[in-house]
Amino acid sequence: MPEPEPGALEPSEETRKRLDELRAVSDKAEAGDREARRELRRLVRSSSPEVIGRASDIGRRAGRMLAKTAAGGDPLTEETLYAKLDAMRAEIAGENPTPLEVLLTERIVSLWMLTALLEVLVSAQYRKTLSDGTKRSSPSYLLQQSRILEGATRRYLAAIRELARVRKLQAGAPPVQVNAQVNILSRDSL
Amino acid sequence: MAWERRGGNLYYYRCEREGGRVRKRYVGTGEAAELIAHADAALRLAREQRAAREGAELERLEALCAPLEELSEAAGVLARAQLVASGYRRRKGEWRRARA
Repeated sequence: MPEPEPGALEPSEETRKRLDELRAVSDKAEAGDREARRELRRLVRSSSPEVIGRASDIGRRAGRMLAKTAAGGDPLTEETLYAKLDAMRAEIAGENPTPLEVLLTERIVSLWMLTALLEVLVSAQYRKTLSDGTKRSSPSYLLQQSRILEGATRRYLAAIRELARVRKLQAGAPPVQVNAQVNILSRDSL
Repeated sequence: MAWERRGGNLYYYRCEREGGRVRKRYVGTGEAAELIAHADAALRLAREQRAAREGAELERLEALCAPLEELSEAAGVLARAQLVASGYRRRKGEWRRARA
Protein backbone atom coordinates (compact mmCIF):
# COMPACT_ATOMS: atom_id res chain seq x y z
CA MET A 1 0.00 0.00 0.00
CA PRO A 2 1.47 3.38 -0.91
CA GLU A 3 2.27 5.54 2.07
CA PRO A 4 0.81 9.05 1.88
CA GLU A 5 2.81 11.99 3.13
CA PRO A 6 2.45 12.36 6.90
CA GLY A 7 -0.65 14.43 7.62
CA ALA A 8 -1.72 14.56 3.97
CA LEU A 9 -4.93 12.67 4.71
CA GLU A 10 -5.74 14.28 8.03
CA PRO A 11 -7.34 17.62 8.77
CA SER A 12 -4.98 20.08 10.45
CA GLU A 13 -5.50 21.11 14.06
CA GLU A 14 -6.82 24.46 12.82
CA THR A 15 -9.38 22.72 10.57
CA ARG A 16 -10.50 20.48 13.42
CA LYS A 17 -10.90 23.53 15.66
CA ARG A 18 -13.06 25.29 13.08
CA LEU A 19 -15.16 22.17 12.55
CA ASP A 20 -15.71 21.93 16.31
CA GLU A 21 -16.73 25.58 16.35
CA LEU A 22 -19.17 25.11 13.45
CA ARG A 23 -20.62 22.03 15.14
CA ALA A 24 -21.11 23.84 18.46
CA VAL A 25 -22.73 26.93 16.93
CA SER A 26 -24.95 24.75 14.67
CA ASP A 27 -26.19 22.92 17.80
CA LYS A 28 -27.17 26.23 19.43
CA ALA A 29 -28.74 27.63 16.28
CA GLU A 30 -30.75 24.48 15.68
CA ALA A 31 -32.00 24.67 19.26
CA GLY A 32 -33.53 28.05 18.38
CA ASP A 33 -30.83 30.50 19.54
CA ARG A 34 -31.19 33.43 17.10
CA GLU A 35 -27.90 34.99 18.08
CA ALA A 36 -26.21 31.65 17.35
CA ARG A 37 -27.86 31.55 13.92
CA ARG A 38 -26.42 34.99 13.10
CA GLU A 39 -23.04 33.83 14.38
CA LEU A 40 -23.33 30.66 12.27
CA ARG A 41 -24.04 32.71 9.13
CA ARG A 42 -20.90 34.71 9.86
CA LEU A 43 -18.87 31.55 10.43
CA VAL A 44 -20.21 29.91 7.26
CA ARG A 45 -19.17 32.98 5.28
CA SER A 46 -15.79 33.46 6.92
CA SER A 47 -14.57 30.13 8.17
CA SER A 48 -16.16 27.33 6.17
CA PRO A 49 -14.69 28.18 2.73
CA GLU A 50 -11.19 27.34 3.87
CA VAL A 51 -12.36 24.25 5.74
CA ILE A 52 -14.36 23.09 2.69
CA GLY A 53 -11.29 23.60 0.50
CA ARG A 54 -9.04 21.63 2.82
CA ALA A 55 -11.53 18.82 3.28
CA SER A 56 -12.01 18.57 -0.50
CA ASP A 57 -8.25 18.29 -0.95
CA ILE A 58 -8.10 15.50 1.61
CA GLY A 59 -10.97 13.70 -0.14
CA ARG A 60 -9.25 13.96 -3.49
CA ARG A 61 -5.95 12.70 -2.09
CA ALA A 62 -7.71 9.82 -0.32
CA GLY A 63 -9.50 8.82 -3.53
CA ARG A 64 -6.24 8.77 -5.47
CA MET A 65 -4.46 6.81 -2.76
CA LEU A 66 -7.24 4.21 -2.84
CA ALA A 67 -7.08 4.01 -6.64
CA LYS A 68 -3.33 3.46 -6.40
CA THR A 69 -3.87 0.71 -3.83
CA ALA A 70 -6.57 -0.94 -5.97
CA ALA A 71 -4.31 -0.83 -9.04
CA GLY A 72 -1.67 -2.86 -7.19
CA GLY A 73 1.20 -1.26 -9.08
CA ASP A 74 -0.28 -1.66 -12.57
CA PRO A 75 0.05 1.78 -14.24
CA LEU A 76 -2.71 1.15 -16.80
CA THR A 77 -5.23 0.16 -14.12
CA GLU A 78 -4.14 3.15 -12.03
CA GLU A 79 -4.71 5.60 -14.89
CA THR A 80 -8.03 3.94 -15.74
CA LEU A 81 -9.20 4.34 -12.15
CA TYR A 82 -8.07 8.00 -12.04
CA ALA A 83 -10.06 8.61 -15.24
CA LYS A 84 -13.07 6.83 -13.75
CA LEU A 85 -12.87 9.00 -10.60
CA ASP A 86 -12.58 12.17 -12.72
CA ALA A 87 -15.60 11.13 -14.81
CA MET A 88 -17.63 10.39 -11.67
CA ARG A 89 -16.65 13.76 -10.19
CA ALA A 90 -17.76 15.62 -13.30
CA GLU A 91 -21.02 13.69 -13.55
CA ILE A 92 -22.00 13.99 -9.89
CA ALA A 93 -20.93 17.60 -9.32
CA GLY A 94 -22.59 18.81 -12.52
CA GLU A 95 -22.08 22.30 -13.91
CA ASN A 96 -21.10 25.16 -11.62
CA PRO A 97 -21.21 23.21 -8.35
CA THR A 98 -21.04 25.15 -5.08
CA PRO A 99 -17.93 24.49 -2.95
CA LEU A 100 -20.06 22.38 -0.60
CA GLU A 101 -21.30 20.32 -3.56
CA VAL A 102 -17.67 19.84 -4.63
CA LEU A 103 -16.82 18.56 -1.15
CA LEU A 104 -19.85 16.25 -0.99
CA THR A 105 -19.03 14.97 -4.48
CA GLU A 106 -15.43 14.29 -3.43
CA ARG A 107 -16.75 12.36 -0.46
CA ILE A 108 -19.04 10.21 -2.66
CA VAL A 109 -16.30 9.49 -5.19
CA SER A 110 -13.73 8.53 -2.55
CA LEU A 111 -16.22 6.32 -0.72
CA TRP A 112 -17.19 4.63 -4.00
CA MET A 113 -13.51 3.81 -4.55
CA LEU A 114 -13.21 2.52 -0.99
CA THR A 115 -16.28 0.26 -1.19
CA ALA A 116 -15.21 -1.08 -4.61
CA LEU A 117 -11.75 -1.89 -3.24
CA LEU A 118 -13.13 -3.51 -0.08
CA GLU A 119 -15.61 -5.59 -2.08
CA VAL A 120 -12.78 -7.02 -4.17
CA LEU A 121 -10.70 -7.75 -1.07
CA VAL A 122 -13.60 -9.40 0.76
CA SER A 123 -14.68 -11.54 -2.20
CA ALA A 124 -11.08 -12.74 -2.64
CA GLN A 125 -11.19 -14.14 0.90
CA TYR A 126 -14.10 -16.43 0.06
CA ARG A 127 -12.07 -18.43 -2.42
CA LYS A 128 -11.06 -21.82 -1.07
CA THR A 129 -7.37 -21.16 -1.48
CA LEU A 130 -5.86 -17.75 -1.93
CA SER A 131 -3.53 -16.97 -4.82
CA ASP A 132 -0.42 -17.19 -2.61
CA GLY A 133 -1.31 -20.76 -1.63
CA THR A 134 -2.52 -19.98 1.89
CA LYS A 135 -5.76 -21.47 3.13
CA ARG A 136 -9.01 -19.58 3.51
CA SER A 137 -9.13 -16.96 6.26
CA SER A 138 -10.64 -17.53 9.69
CA PRO A 139 -14.38 -16.86 10.22
CA SER A 140 -13.64 -14.07 12.73
CA TYR A 141 -11.43 -12.32 10.17
CA LEU A 142 -14.09 -12.63 7.46
CA LEU A 143 -16.66 -11.23 9.88
CA GLN A 144 -14.46 -8.25 10.80
CA GLN A 145 -13.69 -7.59 7.15
CA SER A 146 -17.38 -7.70 6.26
CA ARG A 147 -18.11 -5.23 9.07
CA ILE A 148 -15.55 -2.81 7.65
CA LEU A 149 -17.16 -3.15 4.21
CA GLU A 150 -20.63 -2.68 5.70
CA GLY A 151 -19.51 0.54 7.44
CA ALA A 152 -17.99 1.90 4.24
CA THR A 153 -21.13 1.06 2.23
CA ARG A 154 -23.30 2.76 4.85
CA ARG A 155 -21.17 5.91 4.70
CA TYR A 156 -21.23 5.82 0.89
CA LEU A 157 -25.03 5.68 0.76
CA ALA A 158 -25.30 8.38 3.45
CA ALA A 159 -22.98 10.60 1.37
CA ILE A 160 -25.26 10.25 -1.68
CA ARG A 161 -28.31 11.07 0.44
CA GLU A 162 -26.58 14.12 1.93
CA LEU A 163 -25.69 15.63 -1.44
CA ALA A 164 -29.26 15.07 -2.68
CA ARG A 165 -30.66 16.67 0.48
CA VAL A 166 -28.36 19.70 0.30
CA ARG A 167 -29.28 20.25 -3.36
CA LYS A 168 -32.98 19.88 -2.72
CA LEU A 169 -33.07 22.15 0.34
CA GLN A 170 -30.70 24.77 -1.02
CA ALA A 171 -32.79 25.06 -4.16
CA GLY A 172 -35.51 26.60 -2.01
CA ALA A 173 -33.36 28.52 0.49
CA PRO A 174 -32.00 32.05 0.43
CA PRO A 175 -28.34 31.72 -0.53
CA VAL A 176 -25.53 32.00 1.99
CA GLN A 177 -22.60 33.31 0.03
CA VAL A 178 -19.62 30.98 0.32
CA ASN A 179 -16.52 31.56 -1.68
CA ALA A 180 -14.05 28.75 -1.43
CA GLN A 181 -10.88 28.01 -3.21
CA VAL A 182 -10.68 24.29 -3.86
CA ASN A 183 -7.21 23.31 -4.91
CA ILE A 184 -7.26 20.71 -7.61
CA LEU A 185 -4.03 18.81 -7.18
CA SER A 186 -2.13 17.70 -10.17
CA ARG A 187 -1.23 14.04 -10.42
CA ASP A 188 2.44 14.86 -10.16
CA SER A 189 1.98 16.51 -6.79
CA LEU A 190 0.70 13.30 -5.19
CA MET B 1 -0.97 -28.80 25.43
CA ALA B 2 1.36 -30.13 28.10
CA TRP B 3 3.60 -32.92 29.14
CA GLU B 4 3.14 -34.24 32.65
CA ARG B 5 5.64 -36.30 34.55
CA ARG B 6 4.33 -39.13 36.72
CA GLY B 7 6.48 -41.83 38.29
CA GLY B 8 9.42 -41.04 35.98
CA ASN B 9 7.30 -41.22 32.76
CA LEU B 10 6.12 -38.35 30.55
CA TYR B 11 2.49 -38.22 29.48
CA TYR B 12 1.14 -35.89 26.83
CA TYR B 13 -2.20 -34.11 27.37
CA ARG B 14 -4.22 -31.74 25.23
CA CYS B 15 -6.36 -28.95 26.64
CA GLU B 16 -9.63 -28.72 24.74
CA ARG B 17 -12.51 -26.33 25.08
CA GLU B 18 -15.95 -27.94 25.28
CA GLY B 19 -19.07 -25.89 25.80
CA GLY B 20 -17.17 -23.02 27.41
CA ARG B 21 -15.18 -25.31 29.72
CA VAL B 22 -11.56 -26.32 29.31
CA ARG B 23 -10.95 -30.06 29.56
CA LYS B 24 -7.65 -31.87 29.76
CA ARG B 25 -7.56 -34.93 27.50
CA TYR B 26 -4.93 -37.64 27.70
CA VAL B 27 -3.20 -38.29 24.35
CA GLY B 28 -0.42 -40.76 25.05
CA THR B 29 3.19 -41.34 25.92
CA GLY B 30 6.42 -42.29 24.18
CA GLU B 31 7.39 -41.62 20.55
CA ALA B 32 3.83 -41.53 19.25
CA ALA B 33 2.95 -38.83 21.76
CA GLU B 34 6.07 -36.86 20.76
CA LEU B 35 5.04 -36.95 17.11
CA ILE B 36 1.54 -35.78 18.00
CA ALA B 37 3.02 -33.01 20.21
CA HIS B 38 5.19 -31.82 17.31
CA ALA B 39 2.17 -31.79 15.00
CA ASP B 40 0.16 -29.85 17.58
CA ALA B 41 2.98 -27.30 17.96
CA ALA B 42 3.15 -26.84 14.17
CA LEU B 43 -0.61 -26.32 13.99
CA ARG B 44 -0.49 -23.85 16.88
CA LEU B 45 2.29 -21.90 15.18
CA ALA B 46 0.33 -21.82 11.89
CA ARG B 47 -2.76 -20.53 13.74
CA GLU B 48 -0.70 -17.84 15.47
CA GLN B 49 0.88 -16.79 12.19
CA ARG B 50 -2.52 -16.63 10.50
CA ALA B 51 -3.92 -14.54 13.37
CA ALA B 52 -0.97 -12.14 13.13
CA ARG B 53 -1.34 -11.89 9.34
CA GLU B 54 -5.08 -11.28 9.60
CA GLY B 55 -4.60 -8.73 12.39
CA ALA B 56 -2.11 -6.79 10.26
CA GLU B 57 -4.46 -6.97 7.25
CA LEU B 58 -7.38 -5.63 9.30
CA GLU B 59 -5.19 -2.78 10.52
CA ARG B 60 -4.36 -1.93 6.89
CA LEU B 61 -8.05 -1.95 5.96
CA GLU B 62 -8.92 0.30 8.87
CA ALA B 63 -6.10 2.65 7.86
CA LEU B 64 -7.65 2.85 4.38
CA CYS B 65 -11.03 3.78 5.88
CA ALA B 66 -9.80 6.27 8.51
CA PRO B 67 -9.25 9.34 6.27
CA LEU B 68 -12.69 8.90 4.71
CA GLU B 69 -14.33 8.64 8.11
CA GLU B 70 -12.81 11.99 9.01
CA LEU B 71 -13.80 13.42 5.63
CA SER B 72 -17.36 12.16 6.08
CA GLU B 73 -17.58 13.74 9.49
CA ALA B 74 -16.19 17.06 8.26
CA ALA B 75 -18.56 17.08 5.26
CA GLY B 76 -21.48 16.31 7.56
CA VAL B 77 -20.61 19.20 9.88
CA LEU B 78 -20.21 21.64 6.97
CA ALA B 79 -23.43 20.55 5.22
CA ARG B 80 -25.37 20.87 8.45
CA ALA B 81 -23.86 24.30 9.24
CA GLN B 82 -24.81 25.54 5.80
CA LEU B 83 -28.38 24.22 6.04
CA VAL B 84 -28.89 25.63 9.54
CA ALA B 85 -27.43 28.97 8.44
CA SER B 86 -29.85 28.92 5.50
CA GLY B 87 -32.77 28.68 7.91
CA TYR B 88 -33.39 24.94 8.18
CA ARG B 89 -33.50 22.70 11.20
CA ARG B 90 -34.10 19.03 11.77
CA ARG B 91 -37.41 17.90 13.15
CA LYS B 92 -37.89 14.19 13.87
CA GLY B 93 -35.02 13.39 11.53
CA GLU B 94 -36.31 15.54 8.67
CA TRP B 95 -35.00 18.92 7.62
CA ARG B 96 -37.64 21.65 7.67
CA ARG B 97 -37.57 25.37 7.18
CA ALA B 98 -37.30 27.00 10.64
CA ARG B 99 -39.90 29.62 11.54
CA ALA B 100 -38.57 33.14 11.26
